[in-house]
Amino acid sequence: MNDMKVRVKSLTKKFGDLLVLDDISFDVKKGQFLCVVGPTGCGKTTFLNCITRLYEPTSGEILVDGEPVDLRKHNVSYIFQEYSTMPWLTVEENVAFGLRIKKKPEAEIKESVDEVIEMVGLQKFRNYYPSQLSASMLQRVVIARAFATKPDILLMDEPYGQLDIELRFKLEDELIGLWKKLGTTIIFITHNIEEAVYISEDILILTNKPTTIKQMMANPLSRPRVVTEKRFIEVREQVTELIKWW
Amino acid sequence: MMRKILKNEWTVKIGSAVIALAAFCMLWQAVTVFTGMGDFLPGPAETFAEFFRRFVKPYGKAVLPMHMWSSLRRILIGYTVASAVAIVLGIVMGTYRIADAIVMPLFNIIRPIPPVAWIPLAILWFGIGDASKYFLVFLATFLSVLQNAYAGARSADPVLVGAARMLGANDGFIFRTITLPCAVPYIFSGLQNGLTAAWGQVVASEMIRSSAGVGWIIIRGMDNNDILQELVGILTIGIIGFILAASMRGVEAKLCRWTTRGK
Ligand SMILES: Nc1ncnc2c1ncn2[C@@H]1O[C@H](COP(=O)(O)OP(=O)(O)O)[C@@H](O)[C@H]1O
Ligand SMILES: [Mg+2]
Repeated sequence: MNDMKVRVKSLTKKFGDLLVLDDISFDVKKGQFLCVVGPTGCGKTTFLNCITRLYEPTSGEILVDGEPVDLRKHNVSYIFQEYSTMPWLTVEENVAFGLRIKKKPEAEIKESVDEVIEMVGLQKFRNYYPSQLSASMLQRVVIARAFATKPDILLMDEPYGQLDIELRFKLEDELIGLWKKLGTTIIFITHNIEEAVYISEDILILTNKPTTIKQMMANPLSRPRVVTEKRFIEVREQVTELIKWW
Repeated sequence: MMRKILKNEWTVKIGSAVIALAAFCMLWQAVTVFTGMGDFLPGPAETFAEFFRRFVKPYGKAVLPMHMWSSLRRILIGYTVASAVAIVLGIVMGTYRIADAIVMPLFNIIRPIPPVAWIPLAILWFGIGDASKYFLVFLATFLSVLQNAYAGARSADPVLVGAARMLGANDGFIFRTITLPCAVPYIFSGLQNGLTAAWGQVVASEMIRSSAGVGWIIIRGMDNNDILQELVGILTIGIIGFILAASMRGVEAKLCRWTTRGK
């Protein structure tokens, strides 16, 4: 029981009369890489917002390490669907932003920043401003900022939704590398089934609104994965079958 | 590579500015030579020569640079005080709903009144000396800067605020690291507009009551039927206005590198 990082218990969320999340329960193990897939508008973003207390659940609860979430105590990082770099800060300053909030000593900030900037390959762009960077580099900055704080839990809301395929594959591989290296618990949201099958250890499949859990599925594929392999396509089709929201 | 392009861009910019100015002066010259306008309009060469001559030969009691300084000093004081007050008040209004609710209605009534409309009252309240001019410049600057600082403080991107909150930031941190930087470009455009308004205001008030300044030069030129003097006054206003605006842009470019660089 101790290795449960996140426990979601009978989570229900209504907006007025609109029932979005309907009595959802599941657990996320420490170090798990979970993908949540479901149709657009089914409440994926709402679910993350409940975890971070941006929204108050209508009923049910979410526990982190056995306690209700507290952002000051639990080290949770959230990567939004929208790009969220600060345009007036350089790459380096953006990456350091979370550490400054947490009032880490300068020496430690510098060390962590150097480390993650290298991990995401932005060394050459340290002193650039976001307006000088491409979309994929911006998203790397955001990821570096999230990892710099050494989060226990990383929440990602369709982070690569606006990137083209090639860049997406590249960043997905980077993310898998970071996850393996740091053992962070990741909850990754997407409506792209291929992406979910490619990166995840487990896949949580949601239904249409009012949303319940269709299935929690362990990803049977070993790594490295190749999207064109027969086995990969089989799994992808299996997940597609389960979702079938169209 | 980058540097080369930049250099070329500057060459093109400066080159076209020089050509446009030269064309304008030629047109001006042609009008004075070939039409009856020559009787009331001295040519460009004559005007520029007079402009420089006036650096040593006084208008009234003072040479041209002293008149410039009279006007600039009036701006400097009224403008600086007004900007400081307006920036603080604008940000407070943009941040706290109560302040917004109290000040906004007043502001909405005063804003549409052109600052020149206050000149007679300013003279009545503050006398014909510099105090009334400080007040008028203050008013012109204040209206423009307040509006922009307010809009700026409200422009903070909710995605960025959310991102900072997720990273554990409190309200004070968010204000310092997100609300303020988001407001800076707005404040600068307010300062820029405010400077133009202040400059117009000081000239207008000098034209009504004063004993020195560039506005005074024009009015005295009119009283003496001295067209050349009027033109020198106008030229001076144009040149100083240009320099003020350009230096403000320079400061902005330095402080807001993130909005200008890489575009
Ligand atoms: N703050 C809110 N107020 C009212 N309705 C909301 C709010 N946020 C989301 N919704 C509704 O909840 C549903 C799920 O939204 P969302 O979680 O953004 O979906 P997803 O991220 O899966 O695409 C949508 O129908 C949306 O209109
Ligand atoms: Mg969403």
